Amino acid sequence: MNGVIVTASHVSRVFPMPAGPVTAVRDVTLAITRGEHTAVRGPSGCGKSTLLHMLGCVDTPSAGTLVFDGRDVSALKDRARSLLRLRHIGFVFQRFFLLPMLTAAENVELPQAEAGAPKDERRRRTLELLEYVGLAARADHRPSQLSGGEMQRVAIARALANRPRLLLADEPTGELDQATGEHIAALLDRVNADGTALVIVTHDPALASRARRVLTMRDGCIEGEATG
Amino acid sequence: MRAIAFAWRSLVRQPARSTLGILGVAAIGALLFDMLLLSQGLVLSMRDLLDRLGFDVRVTAGEPLPGAGPDLADAAAAAARLAALPSVRSVTIVRSEIAGIERGDGRSIDAVFLGVAGSLHIWTILRGRDVAAPGELVLNASGAELLAAEPGATVIVRASCADENEAPPPAAFRVAGIAELPFERPDESTAATTIASLEEACGGVQTDIADFLAVISAGDAAQAAADIEAARPDLSAFTNDQMIGRIEQGGVTYFRQISTVLTTVTLAFAMLLITVLLTVSVNQRLGEVAALRALGFSQRRVVLDVLCESVLIIGIGGALSLPCGALLATWLDAILKRMPGIPTDLHFFVFEPRALAIHAALLGGTAIAAALYPMRIVARLPIAATLRDEVVS
Repeated sequence: MNGVIVTASHVSRVFPMPAGPVTAVRDVTLAITRGEHTAVRGPSGCGKSTLLHMLGCVDTPSAGTLVFDGRDVSALKDRARSLLRLRHIGFVFQRFFLLPMLTAAENVELPQAEAGAPKDERRRRTLELLEYVGLAARADHRPSQLSGGEMQRVAIARALANRPRLLLADEPTGELDQATGEHIAALLDRVNADGTALVIVTHDPALASRARRVLTMRDGCIEGEATG
Repeated sequence: MRAIAFAWRSLVRQPARSTLGILGVAAIGALLFDMLLLSQGLVLSMRDLLDRLGFDVRVTAGEPLPGAGPDLADAAAAAARLAALPSVRSVTIVRSEIAGIERGDGRSIDAVFLGVAGSLHIWTILRGRDVAAPGELVLNASGAELLAAEPGATVIVRASCADENEAPPPAAFRVAGIAELPFERPDESTAATTIASLEEACGGVQTDIADFLAVISAGDAAQAAADIEAARPDLSAFTNDQMIGRIEQGGVTYFRQISTVLTTVTLAFAMLLITVLLTVSVNQRLGEVAALRALGFSQRRVVLDVLCESVLIIGIGGALSLPCGALLATWLDAILKRMPGIPTDLHFFVFEPRALAIHAALLGGTAIAAALYPMRIVARLPIAATLRDEVVS
């Protein structure tokens, strides 16, 4: 399919547990295309985050095939998967996971440095991203000096640092109050509108309703799909 | 941001923990440094003293250490025979006896009374001048202080040479100078003169004997020793290297064994300390590490970050350990030198560049070994499961 970034074909993910194997994702088939905005909803433990992790190449399916940019992810070595994530995928986490010993700017600069971007380009891109998320004035602040919403904005800027084609957000408003969550949702909308494909896992119906495509999961399966 | 800069930031993030780690390594590193100095110190110091004697082959009638074997008879003839060998540059006869030395004011001491015949005088003049005429001697600083004798003073020597029941004839000597002898002990008095003057003080009994012959080789000490033993199979010739070898085979091995055991123990402590610190540190930020991995940081990079932290802690602690170790070594050396019979210039802890290199290599190895387990944790970190666990917790 033209414009497809990642395709999951009949993927399942089974976790071995002492009490017996647990199937977190069961026979899911899904494609994420360029520029699309998808939300994945469902009750806790339904496999949303596991599906997101597989789409983001941090986890591999126990069965089925996951193809990112035409490459079978299961066949890639760890180093190649890391490189793929670094260059093509951005992650936004519920708990931000900013590095507390670095400033906002340094947090945003870090993935660019890992990708080997020249210093001047990194500085310019970092400033541009912090301006994009409205935090240029807080560039030299550490995460402990920022509010929850500001931290998540820095995390979004960090996720966009290497111009990913796909941004994955796992409960991005889960730790924020409603008003701050609205701001983050609006920011994510803008990221998507600017061309980055977005997949959001959320419990929040308001956040999910902003997506053009909403997948509902239950017991590891995609139970329904709505497009708006 | 380079791994080392990143690791530095991680250390600064936990200043108390990092400081404790660094101080722990500094203390352990100081002990390690001292163990390394101790392991070779006595041998190095002994070699230095032997070299300072000014000769490189000693010839005895038996055992290499003076006084350990029989006297060497017909010393003058033996010296002349050896001096004629092409591999020998010069031969000096060395004989030692015990003497009572007194001044007219009633001060008296018991001293080692040394006599030499030849071009080499195995002492260094501190004040005054060397023995130049019959009836002159030099005193070591301890003897001079006890006798309150300065150059120019006259002393009476009662040497005990052959038969201790026979009263030695008193002989007047003029103190020519105050000298330092390489193997003198702090509480030991020594007087030195020519063989002729010593034999005269001995009343002319048992002449022409020596404790040993001090030989300066023409350049190759081993060759000279071989030539000497070939020329005089009844004599034993020992180079300074052979002397050191004998010393190393003897009591010094205890120091080396103790040093090896304590070095191993201190390194094990350093490794455990850093492993625990890094493991705790890594376990507290598994979520961050998993997030970095999710963002595309390679396994190699996060492992390198941990290794750099270990290297920084051990590197900084190791650097601090050197001055601490040097101070501790000085203190311990002073304690050990209080043991009776230890020559003033003999040291147990002696610095050598090799010790520094071994110290750095051992600590470097410890840094890597200490980081292995925490590196394994981050290398094998399941990214997805960790991110999930962090949210659940």
